[in-house]
Amino acid sequence: MSKTFDRFAGIAFLLIGLLFVIESQRLSESSYGSAVGPDIFPLGLGIFLVLLSLRLLYETFRYQTSAKSGEPVQYIKFVIIFVSALLYIVLLEPLGYVITTFIFLLIAFQTMERGKWIQSIVIALLFSGGVYYFFAEFLGGSLPGFPVF
Amino acid sequence: MSTLQFLMDGFSIAFQWQNILFAFVGVLIGTAVGVLPGIGPMSGVALLIPVTATLTAGLPTEAAAASSIILLAGVYYGAMYGGSTTSILLNTPGESSSVVTTLDGYQMAKQGRAGSALSIAAIGSFAAGIISLLGLVLLAKPLSNVALQFGPAEYFSLMLLGLAAVSGLAGKSMTKALMMTVFGLMLGTIGIDAVSGIARFTYDIPVLFSGLEFLTIAVGLFALGEVFKTILERDHEDGTMAKIGRILPTKQDMKESAAPILRGSFLGFFIGVLPGAGATLASFFSYIAEKKISKTPEKFGTGQIAGVAGPESANNAASGGAMIPLLTLGIPGSGTTAILMGAFIMYNIQPGPLLFEDHPQVAWGLIASMFVGNLMLLVLNMPLVKVFAKIIQTPKKYLLPIIIAISFFGVYAVQYTTFDLFLLLACGLLGYLLTKNDFPVAPLVLALVLGPMLENNMRRALTISNGEFSTFVTNPISLVLLVVAVAWLLVPLLLRLKGRTVVLNEEG
Repeated sequence: MSKTFDRFAGIAFLLIGLLFVIESQRLSESSYGSAVGPDIFPLGLGIFLVLLSLRLLYETFRYQTSAKSGEPVQYIKFVIIFVSALLYIVLLEPLGYVITTFIFLLIAFQTMERGKWIQSIVIALLFSGGVYYFFAEFLGGSLPGFPVF
Repeated sequence: MSTLQFLMDGFSIAFQWQNILFAFVGVLIGTAVGVLPGIGPMSGVALLIPVTATLTAGLPTEAAAASSIILLAGVYYGAMYGGSTTSILLNTPGESSSVVTTLDGYQMAKQGRAGSALSIAAIGSFAAGIISLLGLVLLAKPLSNVALQFGPAEYFSLMLLGLAAVSGLAGKSMTKALMMTVFGLMLGTIGIDAVSGIARFTYDIPVLFSGLEFLTIAVGLFALGEVFKTILERDHEDGTMAKIGRILPTKQDMKESAAPILRGSFLGFFIGVLPGAGATLASFFSYIAEKKISKTPEKFGTGQIAGVAGPESANNAASGGAMIPLLTLGIPGSGTTAILMGAFIMYNIQPGPLLFEDHPQVAWGLIASMFVGNLMLLVLNMPLVKVFAKIIQTPKKYLLPIIIAISFFGVYAVQYTTFDLFLLLACGLLGYLLTKNDFPVAPLVLALVLGPMLENNMRRALTISNGEFSTFVTNPISLVLLVVAVAWLLVPLLLRLKGRTVVLNEEG
């Protein structure tokens, strides 16, 4: 539990709630023959979320933060994997499934733990090739296969 | 047709070769999910929805739905079996409902009785699975008949009760749980409004017109969230694994655990039927009950077999019981059943009172397959438990990236847009941050599933009453449901104010 996060989340959800309140006013009020329009439900939810966020912000001033357990957080590994996942998405359609998946897995395996290159390459190749063959060739699903040059 | 006749028809579906295979794959993966620490039943089921959707792509809709749900439900109750393995052998629960099993299970393993503990857990789970299924068979028809009398106002209040129950018991802070519920409901309003045809909160972005995809959100929050957590906070490498030894329990063990298994099964079943109270609470209560009943309560925690048999039966019975409100009322009472409900809806099948009339194939096929699946699990978990224990040693190095790759493949193969992949990644990050800071994500997913139905029932009820909100309280059934919903939120709050500790349901 972190006070900073709770405050930040409280403000973020407060803004989301306000956004819903304001934006639902812009929706037309009622439609043919129905007594209630598409705006009431989101409006109510927005108000409720605003109230809950205020309550959370109020709570953050009351509780004591428990001492942090010294859990080592491995930011570098995570950032490398997260960024390669982002690149994976961007390149998936232009480069095709097999190549991007293979590269992503290889990078991720090596980021998690260095070494055992041959094993990593074999597993990455088996997974990307296996999934593609099974899904696209055997089941007839559509995946972007290989880049078209 | 009588219930028995329906059940027989169900078996004819469950015994189709592909459905036997689906049930087998489901329970196999479920056991693995239960054994692997870090992947719970929720993330396991979420991750497999897209995979099953692609596997069943060639079948007609109803058959595809039956096969997929058979597999996914298999993962759910299979995980309940598997969860005991790591609790007993490593003192690390594979999923949260096996936490109390560590207390006596690991002690038994230290005394060289790991095999007995594991087999009793499997036998207890099997007995509980069958008992809760019988309950499901007996209660399904009558309950859905009652629910058929419900109008929109009653349905609205019933769904509110479901949401209140899950938010009231989930997580450490009720404010946060309620915030997640409301946020989930809000996410459900994005897209074209089904009643008026007006686009809400889409800002002319075409991918938003159909709304946010439930599947993407669930896989992101649960599966990717878990993976990110494990990458960031490497779990402490666990100690040495206990030897398993002889697998069959002794006569004495059987005698000592027969009564706890029975009690655990019934207790777990009834707790499972209640919305919001899931397998974790069931196993916890069963442990307390066994300790109270025991003539030697002081021996609990030192390797009492009743302390393994009771809770392990209870958590399995609870997962069977949780299927009842889902199938008969269309109200999921937990995170995992919410995900299962999402899977039903993906196949355009609405769980609820009409399920048994409109899609008897799916409903009874699923119930019958659960008998088959429980039998398979007994076989898998008795002689093959040594093989499964090996799964624990799967290196995280390979496991975690592959889970990311599977979730990407699954979401892309179903949605076919990279927008959903970006959303998936964002939800993974959000899932990690929220869970880490005690914002429970199960209520969010439940709300996302129930949201559109909640809103439609509310608007139908209001249309019937000409916009009078009093319709929800003048209708007696609806009023009772609303009062129970409010009580469900207030009672834990009052107990906490009095300084009492309230049992939390972390499984969601």
